[in-house]
Amino acid sequence: MSGALEFELTLALSGFTLELEHSTRSRALGVFGPSGSGKSSLVEALVGWRRGARGRIAFDGVTWLDSERGVELDAAQRGVGYVPQDQLLFPHLDVEANLRFGCARDDGLVERVLRVLEIEPLRARDVATLSGGERQRVALGRALCARPRLLVLDEPFGALDRPLRRRILPFLVRAQREFAAPLVLVSHDPTEIAAVCDEVLVLREGRLVARGAPAQVLTPGGELDEGFENVVRGRVSAVGASSASVDLGGVALEVPRGSLASGELAVVAVRADDVLLARSAPSGLSARNVLAARIEELVRGPAARLRVSLAGQPLWAELTEAAIDELELAVGGAVFVVVKTRACRVLGASREA
Amino acid sequence: MQWESVAPALWLTLQVAAFSTALVALPAIALGRFLARREFRGRSALEAFVALPLYCPPTAFGYLLLRALRRDGPLGAESLGFDLDLLLTWRGAVLASALMSFPLVVRTARLAFESVPARLEQMAASLGTSRARVLWRVTLPLARNGLIAALLIGFSRALGEFGATVIVAGNIPGRTQTLATGIFDALTLGDDARAVQLAGWSALLGFAAVWTSEWFLRRSRRASA
Repeated sequence: MSGALEFELTLALSGFTLELEHSTRSRALGVFGPSGSGKSSLVEALVGWRRGARGRIAFDGVTWLDSERGVELDAAQRGVGYVPQDQLLFPHLDVEANLRFGCARDDGLVERVLRVLEIEPLRARDVATLSGGERQRVALGRALCARPRLLVLDEPFGALDRPLRRRILPFLVRAQREFAAPLVLVSHDPTEIAAVCDEVLVLREGRLVARGAPAQVLTPGGELDEGFENVVRGRVSAVGASSASVDLGGVALEVPRGSLASGELAVVAVRADDVLLARSAPSGLSARNVLAARIEELVRGPAARLRVSLAGQPLWAELTEAAIDELELAVGGAVFVVVKTRACRVLGASREA
Repeated sequence: MQWESVAPALWLTLQVAAFSTALVALPAIALGRFLARREFRGRSALEAFVALPLYCPPTAFGYLLLRALRRDGPLGAESLGFDLDLLLTWRGAVLASALMSFPLVVRTARLAFESVPARLEQMAASLGTSRARVLWRVTLPLARNGLIAALLIGFSRALGEFGATVIVAGNIPGRTQTLATGIFDALTLGDDARAVQLAGWSALLGFAAVWTSEWFLRRSRRASA
């Protein structure tokens, strides 16, 4: 956050009471948890759409809610750019009119948003004719055009299927970098949070059960088992014909080139079940990434997995118990991590550091 | 039957219906909006009061209006200090029709506003838009079809108004006689041919207005689906 976001909230919900207390200066705060954990209620209290919250919310030194002092700013006074799951686009306005709706002063911002989110060709379209992914980009664009002090996204891609979510995510990463908007992102997708946020709160039934950096908190296993993706960051050091090299901080990762340019900061996802391990340096492989690493954590059981570090960035690999035994893997042991270039997906890139 | 004997009643009916619809439009739409979005104590009592003309005999309202408008009534010349000059005039028919169509316009307008998702208005407000601008740029455009239907329903009700009109405005051919009061007049005079012609025009106008309002209501329902 450019300013600190502080909240200390009690909110009666059906079945449980949401009780949260947190203070952060993170530029992007993630809120993660299963359905019904209170994420959306927290968001609506932050945005000012939910009345009846008890406690205190302050952002950048401005008190938005202080139930003891009877302070409760309405949504407009808070200056929050809100992107709900159902987008709430104005159905009687075309795309450009939706973007301009909250834009009090247009000094080229609308054109910039149209360009960054690649929705220029849609500007005259009736919003009813847009696809799910297009609607989300327009909703994000509309929130950005209102020059929010804080961007709040509630499951912005929740209604989309996974492949489409992955295609849309780079736009969010790019928008975050281009517009430097502090944000709160609510999601039940750890990849989205890891790609965008530098801090995450994990909620369960209205209680805060974990907090910290996404790489430390959102690890495979338990509720995150399904297709866990590692998210790593690095600067593009070289661009070839079909691939680019991303420097993770002393370790180079070959990724599909896409639209990457040299010098850009790239966010890359690698599925944990796409990571192979070898005890000795393999040769004659088609995979472009063979990286020496050391095992830092090993979890046995039905969802066996281990964590290595690539220049300080954690990378989880999923494997079977039999493989662990056969390769005699143990914490502290040296391994070679093998990842195909095509198994690396660029989630976003920007020029900004 | 000569067209000349029907035309004055037909034109006066259209004139009365149009003016009464214009008269109720703003207060009925405003009240519809208020009822659609506000919860308060006494809301159901207010709704029942507004709906009074729907279940009370129109003649009862005509009588109350007559009492109010006569010289010594609360809206009479002695109380106001000037004469509104509504009794036995076409303007009196406008007032009577407006009173009788008011609850129908309020009710349909309320449904039109209820069909606009409140979250869209909240979204507009959180984008820094004033209440007036939210109403003008979001609520009214989205409720438009339902509101047009509400006005058409009020217009159709005014076309057929009889009981209150005949008491307040009378039934003076060429001056205050509408299609509805003209049919009664023709019937009492045994002029069946004129009664049939007036009834035919009443049915035709009523059908056109209700059919058009249904068309707008369908569009409104589709838009909010």
